Amino acid sequence: MPSSRTRPIEKFARATARCSTEAAAYGKCVVADYNAVQKGMCAKEFLKLKDCYLAAAKKA
Amino acid sequence: MSLAHLFRPAARSPRIFAPRSPAHTCRTYAVQAPGNPVMEIFNRRTKHLQKDRAAHNVEESRKTDYIKDEVATRLCERLLDIKRDFPNVLDLGANSCNIARALTMPDPDPDSPTGSSPPLSTRISKLTCVDTSPALLYRDADEPFNQQMSLTREIIPDLESLPYAENTFDAVLSSLSIHWINDLPSMLAQVNKILKPDSPFIAAMFGGDTLFELRTSLQLADLERRGGVSPHVSPLTDVRDVGGLLNKAGFKMLTVDVEDIVVEYPDSFALMADLQAMGENNAILHRELGPMSRDVLLANEAIYRQLHMEEGARGVPATFRLIYMIGWKEGEGQSEPLQRGSGQLNLKDLLGGGEFQGGR
Repeated sequence: MPSSRTRPIEKFARATARCSTEAAAYGKCVVADYNAVQKGMCAKEFLKLKDCYLAAAKKA
Repeated sequence: MSLAHLFRPAARSPRIFAPRSPAHTCRTYAVQAPGNPVMEIFNRRTKHLQKDRAAHNVEESRKTDYIKDEVATRLCERLLDIKRDFPNVLDLGANSCNIARALTMPDPDPDSPTGSSPPLSTRISKLTCVDTSPALLYRDADEPFNQQMSLTREIIPDLESLPYAENTFDAVLSSLSIHWINDLPSMLAQVNKILKPDSPFIAAMFGGDTLFELRTSLQLADLERRGGVSPHVSPLTDVRDVGGLLNKAGFKMLTVDVEDIVVEYPDSFALMADLQAMGENNAILHRELGPMSRDVLLANEAIYRQLHMEEGARGVPATFRLIYMIGWKEGEGQSEPLQRGSGQLNLKDLLGGGEFQGGR
């Protein structure tokens, strides 16, 4: 793929990089108890991360 | 409805199958009893397509050759220890002929007494590179290293059935390909067959803990977001099993060693994009089709950083564990290991003190 066009994954990575605080909070939540991870265990933190990502993606 | 109605007796009385004529007594082919069960783990067609697709993007594909080139170089260094010429050599699963490139590198021997050594390719009269993906195999066909040695490229439909006669090759090399083989025991047995007696098979493959960071963080992300785990990273051969596998295939004088290469990536997306550009993306038979969900990718990035990033590091680490193996086909006059317990010298006396002295 020519490098002149930004690939979707690069945009995704850039937007995610702007949310390091939220990502760290979510990461800590999952890793804190990684032997007993359940679905939706960190839903609250994830939603914050996703909101931040969506806002960052819109700006870019 | 009565039971008698349900279990109605057959309308006709049971027929006796008496042969009407001698012609009816012959047995015909019914079904073949299966031999050893063949494990199917990877989808060969998918892998073929992934390699082809990756190589069509020549620029990206070349940029992500860093691991393959490095490993090919380290693999070829092992040839320095074998003081002989190899008239006919096979490169099994050649990718973009990374081994050929490494063989033509000038001055490969750092410990050479004369200070310089000729490229390894001078000891090889003919190298045959085989792979399944034409786009990848012919990607660098115009590069200068092609003129520096006698190189033939061959496309074969399947690395698991080798179309070569017995006792054909003086050495078989393989770099970073056989971790995609479904039936490793059978492939190794075939390699042993096509080698001439007293000839080496030298290979490097990804094994064991390769990409364990990605494997674990994706598992956690999958679990937390979707409540279950789906296979994203291939199952790989363990170092402990390689000796047994080579032994079973009939190889003698085995050498197996392990090396970790840790690469730092800016983020997990860069790692996955690079793996894709290498043609090393997921090809597990029972993988989930279609792209990974963005939620999982987002969660994975956060978990990967939290779980594996070192303090103060700029990026996330990814471990590639390489298993190097050397096995020799049995041949006359080959040196053999001595009987167990027949040693006369204490290694401790020989190496001195019991303390670790060496180490470059």
